[in-house]
Amino acid sequence: LLFLQRVVLLVASDVDALCACKILQALFQCDHVQYTLVPVAGWQELETAFLEHKDQFKYFVLINCGANVDLLEILQPEEDTYFFVCDSHRPINVVNVYNDTQIKLLVKQDDDLDIPAYDDIFRDEEEEEEDSENESDGSEPLEKRRRFEEEVIERTMKRRQRREWEARRREILFDYEQYEYHGTSSAMVMFDLAWIMSKDLNDMLWWAIVGLTDQWVQDKITQMKYVTDIGILQRHVSRHNHRNEDEENSLSIDCTRIAFEYDLRLALYQHWSLYESLCNTSYTSASLKLWSVQGQKRLQEFLADMGLPLKQVKQKFNSMDISLKENLREMIEESANKFGMKDLRVQTFSIHFGFKNKFSASDIVYATTSLMENIEKEGPETTNFIKALDSLSRGNLDKLHQGLDLAKKQLRAIQQTVASCICTNLVISQGPFLYCSLMEGTPDVKLFSKPVSLCLLSKYLLKSFVCSTKNKRCKLLPLVMAAPMDVEQGTVIMVGIPPETESSDKKNFFGRAFEKAAESTRSRTLHNHFEMSIIELKTEDRSKFLDALISLLS
Amino acid sequence: VRKHRQHRNLFKNKGKDETTLRRQRVEVSVELRKAKKDEQILKRRNISIHLEENNPFLGQHKADEVIIPLSLDEIVDAVNGEDTHLQLLATQATRRILSRQKDPPINQIIELGIIPRMVEFLDCADNAALQFEAAWALTNIASGTSEHTRAVVDGGAIPAFISLLSSPHMHISEQSVWALGNIAGDGPLYRDALIACNVIPPLLALVSPATPVGFLRNITWTLSNLCRNKNPCPPLHAVQKILPVLLILLQHEDKDVISDSCWAISYLTDGSNDRIQVVVKTGILPRLVELMDSPDLIVMTPALRAIGNVVTGTDQQTQEAINAGVLTVLPRLLRHTKPAIQKEAAWTLSNIAAGPPQQIQQLVSCGLLPPLVELLDKGDFKAQKEAVWVVANFTTGGTVDQVVELVRSGVLKPLLNLLLAKDSKTILIILDTISNLFLAAEKLGETEKLCLLVEELHGLEKIEDLQNHENDMVYRAALAIIEKYFSGEDSTDLEPQIGQDGLYDFSVEKQDFNF
Repeated sequence: LLFLQRVVLLVASDVDALCACKILQALFQCDHVQYTLVPVAGWQELETAFLEHKDQFKYFVLINCGANVDLLEILQPEEDTYFFVCDSHRPINVVNVYNDTQIKLLVKQDDDLDIPAYDDIFRDEEEEEEDSENESDGSEPLEKRRRFEEEVIERTMKRRQRREWEARRREILFDYEQYEYHGTSSAMVMFDLAWIMSKDLNDMLWWAIVGLTDQWVQDKITQMKYVTDIGILQRHVSRHNHRNEDEENSLSIDCTRIAFEYDLRLALYQHWSLYESLCNTSYTSASLKLWSVQGQKRLQEFLADMGLPLKQVKQKFNSMDISLKENLREMIEESANKFGMKDLRVQTFSIHFGFKNKFSASDIVYATTSLMENIEKEGPETTNFIKALDSLSRGNLDKLHQGLDLAKKQLRAIQQTVASCICTNLVISQGPFLYCSLMEGTPDVKLFSKPVSLCLLSKYLLKSFVCSTKNKRCKLLPLVMAAPMDVEQGTVIMVGIPPETESSDKKNFFGRAFEKAAESTRSRTLHNHFEMSIIELKTEDRSKFLDALISLLS
Repeated sequence: VRKHRQHRNLFKNKGKDETTLRRQRVEVSVELRKAKKDEQILKRRNISIHLEENNPFLGQHKADEVIIPLSLDEIVDAVNGEDTHLQLLATQATRRILSRQKDPPINQIIELGIIPRMVEFLDCADNAALQFEAAWALTNIASGTSEHTRAVVDGGAIPAFISLLSSPHMHISEQSVWALGNIAGDGPLYRDALIACNVIPPLLALVSPATPVGFLRNITWTLSNLCRNKNPCPPLHAVQKILPVLLILLQHEDKDVISDSCWAISYLTDGSNDRIQVVVKTGILPRLVELMDSPDLIVMTPALRAIGNVVTGTDQQTQEAINAGVLTVLPRLLRHTKPAIQKEAAWTLSNIAAGPPQQIQQLVSCGLLPPLVELLDKGDFKAQKEAVWVVANFTTGGTVDQVVELVRSGVLKPLLNLLLAKDSKTILIILDTISNLFLAAEKLGETEKLCLLVEELHGLEKIEDLQNHENDMVYRAALAIIEKYFSGEDSTDLEPQIGQDGLYDFSVEKQDFNF
């Protein structure tokens, strides 16, 4: 990665992208590379940003965007423009894969990409052009022509072979492009790069951890992939932080220490009260079915089982009795097991700034996400992005705390919306999928016009629904969720998520399905998000779009 | 000063007349085509589906053949025998051998002496399968060298094929069209022999709105061969008969049909002015100009060639082409990505520039100067050479005002750059053009300013260098210019100025230079 010129960084609006961006910024700083940072929330912004900068810049770095479309096709760049794409979106567009001049993909070698073989999807045009070229080169006709016999047969043979090849190609590409999923976190890929260049710092490692944790929190990768990647990062963590294991030197040079932990899967609990965290964590809330009276009762029983006084549980975690905190994790886990919550323990990392500040990786993810999707306007469009990016720096504790507060609001809002959707039976089975639509006027509905928040809500809702329903078939269905997007323009945002099953491969077919449904109904839709399974459409087109989607997937 | 004669006039001493210059271009392309012929022949033709469909015999025969492969001796015996079934098998075997892609043994087949017998088969009206196989075999023999074609003609095939044009079986009729096309394509001798045998009326009768497009392509191609070749050119009465049908074919939607029709027109216009007149009179020029603007190279190329030929004609004929809009299409063609198109377009323009001042004026007002300068500056070299001709003709025939306009359009810089070309002919034309420019400047009393301009554009040093050129004529022409315009007292006066800061001085003066 040798940049002699200024480069443009085009960064998507997700926490993993921000983390990758932070690492790259640090690397650029090392190497004195000048760059311009442009946040891009969707395809339209990506195109606009490219058009605005293409004349002055030749090098573009795309983070968490661009891999899954034919970039040359949509951006129409000059031949001396180069794209460096670090994007976890899969599948990678085949043209990007096989373009070895203008598009450089930053991908982890051992990622299982299953890219179709070149010969199966591209064909050297020579053969076909032979005919047309000779027929169209404008040379004078021949004086004499012999008539061939084999020609008819040969041509048919050729044509048949070509048809077969094309059919196979379509099939291969269909299989390849059918499902959308995520590869290794971009922050991790970027960290690998830093490591290979021997420029990796503890801060960068932390961002890589946060990037991975974002994928986990957003449920983008399988449990298996998460555990594997945690293992990889753990080795880096011990390499970077081993000197701190020595008690005497527990204060590292920059007062930062990253530690691997088996922690509780309770959102933000160290910055909240244990009670609030239990209520607003999707896993516990769904398992205990907290939306019902019985669920609330179960929560009380659960707390009683642990032998924690309600008063202690409901006050700030920081202020809880030290004696209670000592064996807290073990106590909670033990009781959780009894209540059917076997996965309350997760492998994760935490960071200590000196003695006072300790954050778990998921704390940062929640805080940063909330800053990014903050619905209270505080300035121009990019304010949220910049704020979220800043919150990732250690020096910005105030921003981080603001983020944590917003995150609590967000989680509460999600939990309340989930509860009301379930209690009022808003989740309905459409046959091939479940469907839930938020009405205009629902509390917090504005928050869910934002893609990441809407996705989180959908995932939490589906989890809770699966726990609440007795219909076995429904437990295996994916969910489509819609929320009002822009009332004035009359648009809704719609997201499709894969079924919530233990063995889920987190692969999502809604991207293609949305595309087809929109095409067949000529609905006015906008595929503007880098996640293809998120779509925007005109409210009045919604019902015909849904009908088409149902018949498509039935 | 006229047309391609223009080229000659500037080159009296080289002694190349108009025809030789033109022939050269054609010959080179023929050579290129021949080199590609083997390869091309594999793809050029197209067999229309109706042949398969309309010929119920074809499939059956294929099956037979797999079972009975015949040796050459067996073929001779069977063809000369009386068993019609064996005749058919043998003829078909012959046709198959001649239809294979690689190295068809045409000589061997001719040596078998079976051609006259095959020609007899053409007359077997009661055996359509045999007629068809024989026609195909003979077509392929006639597709070879002149000697091969002669073997077919000497076998008496011409009248037989002409009468088969009227066969009730379309595939036989089409095969005959093809065979006759091969015979006509051999050259003017057989072409005129065919015409003398009255080939044209039955051939033209095949053209109807119901004719399948594949068939129509074959007919058009054969017609184009009947219009092709010079020394002599095809008889006038034949041309008069063919032209109305060509006009119809030029309106067809199939681009192959249009292409070959355009080629036919281009052959007809490649001749003396009275031959050009025959074509112009039909009123086809607007359609040709429209086709010149076609996105398909196979249409654009021959249409451009035809129009290019027309403007080699009289001023009135050239004016007809201008009236048909040729000047509005040429800018695009001068900027075409294909060098061959650039070149032909520039060649066409050069002949318009060789016209009277009114036509030169039309050239200017239609905005041809900017693309001309671009071509001169950045075009393909062959196209640049033609562009130099445009400028040369322009400066010879244009008025002083027109020449001023030409210089204002920026022609001088790329023109002077081309003095570095390796081609002495081109250099000579440029030097002649420069002399023409000075003549115009003299009339305006602006000689000195033109001197400065040439110098500023590094033209003087290039002309000076040409005094060392190996070609004696180049040397003399360069010397003449230097002596006449750059060696006076003025130039000695100028020298110190140039030495200091010449460029800047002159560029200021250029502001009020008339050019």
